[in-house]
Amino acid sequence: MSEQPNIRVLLVDDEENLIEFMSKRLLKQGFTVKAAFSGEAAIKVAETTHFDVAVVDLKMPGMDGVETQHKLKEIQPFLQCIVLTGHGSIESALESGQEDAFNYLLKPVDHDKLVAAIKDAYKKKVEVQDKKFKEQVEALYASGLGAHGIRKAIGELRKIYGID
Amino acid sequence: MESTKSLSSELTKVTREVASYKIELDQTRKYLHCVLQNSTDIIFMTEITGLLVSFSKGAEKALGYAMEEVIGRPVKDLSEDAESFEALMVKSRLKGNVSAPEIHFRHKDGTRVHCHISLMELINREDNRVGTIGVCQDITRWKKLQEDLVQIDRLAEMGRIASGVAHEINNPLAIINEASGWAEEVITDAKGLNPDDREELKETVRKINLQTRRCRNITHKLLDFVRDSAPTRAEFDIHSLLKDTVDLLRPELKHTAIEVEFAFSQESLPITSDPRLLEQVFVNLVTNAIHAVLENGKGNGHIKIQTIRTDSGVDVSIEDNGGGIPEEARASIFTLFYTTKPPGKGTGLGLSICRNIVKNLGGELSYQSKIGAGTTFTISIPTPK
Repeated sequence: MSEQPNIRVLLVDDEENLIEFMSKRLLKQGFTVKAAFSGEAAIKVAETTHFDVAVVDLKMPGMDGVETQHKLKEIQPFLQCIVLTGHGSIESALESGQEDAFNYLLKPVDHDKLVAAIKDAYKKKVEVQDKKFKEQVEALYASGLGAHGIRKAIGELRKIYGID
Repeated sequence: MESTKSLSSELTKVTREVASYKIELDQTRKYLHCVLQNSTDIIFMTEITGLLVSFSKGAEKALGYAMEEVIGRPVKDLSEDAESFEALMVKSRLKGNVSAPEIHFRHKDGTRVHCHISLMELINREDNRVGTIGVCQDITRWKKLQEDLVQIDRLAEMGRIASGVAHEINNPLAIINEASGWAEEVITDAKGLNPDDREELKETVRKINLQTRRCRNITHKLLDFVRDSAPTRAEFDIHSLLKDTVDLLRPELKHTAIEVEFAFSQESLPITSDPRLLEQVFVNLVTNAIHAVLENGKGNGHIKIQTIRTDSGVDVSIEDNGGGIPEEARASIFTLFYTTKPPGKGTGLGLSICRNIVKNLGGELSYQSKIGAGTTFTISIPTPK
């Protein structure tokens, strides 16, 4: 467990009982977990806290999983979303242009599968983020800013990328 | 002399005319005969008291009687409700003609024949009523179709309800799944637990887990089956699809003594087709096999599912040791709405839909049957080269 990186997971589902047990198990397995019981609450949390992976239920009252996922990605572009869906709605989710979800899992989800999916999503997030970070840092060096300017700009980037 | 001549020419003229009328009459007679012989409608004629004097071929076919059997009998005796039929005859006498959207005749074999009927009075040259002509269309198939549509609609509704229920069950199931998983971890870590108790608790929770997974398989399979989407093409292993199909039907097999044998080809057989549609075909055929074996009532029920690679693709055969398909039913088994099952038990859709699906997938559905020995259905699925 100690070798596992600190993966920050945001769980979004209106089924409070489900979230309770799911987060307990994930916490015990070494994940950093935050729970939100609605799409709206998830957006609020994401405005102040960085996450690597969001697990979002597709069907929720109010803001549904599709919209929540969209908004989360607007706030944190590198965040990877795993969408939990009832059976049969995978196609409809894909059709409505939600292919940018990292993965779709059928409810009830096998816990081991969920953990594996979160880890894969995290890898993807790091990969995409590193690539972009490198590109931007290189662009910074190429821009001819002085040492002070570069340090300041990198500080800004760190903030955007949620790198502590 | 002159008058004799004119009389003679008049006679010749009349003779010619009579000959031409005779030809015309002959033609009309042939025409009527042809209509009576070939119309599928029930056409009959009665004399004034309602005794049959003519009975068309269509009538013979629809009601099962030969003409000689019914000529001279009151036509009302052929109907289910002689009194109402008589009332209709009286009405036609008063009004000249009358029709009714539905009356019931009784076929010689005792079954009901639904008919639309028109009755017309037959009047002679002197304007006297000499009998009645009846023309009836057999609408039994149409009535059956209507009843079946109601049944199909009910089944479709059941499907919708079942998928809604399955969806709803998935949520609490997800909670049980996570809660029992958590309990397992708590039990593992709990301090001061007697080892035997710990093992027992763990085992209990594992059982909860296992049963939850079982429920999930059921709900997922059910939703998979009900969901409708456009035909797809995917590569998959036919053997696992067949095993899944039998798993889906386990509840039906559970309280029977039927043994299902898989006689799969040694090599794995990946095929490219629509797995969901093929599953529907397999579910139908295996269900039919189960019913065939159960109806037969023998103790040693056996269903053998075999796969063979062929030159063009894969052959899947489903063999049962039921009673076989009766000779008289064979011509109709692929006909839409044909069923040998009691009312409410079968829609007569299964095989005809199966054949359509297999045809649409570019394959073929065939069967072999032997009375007392059983039936084998074979689905030939082509593999694209």
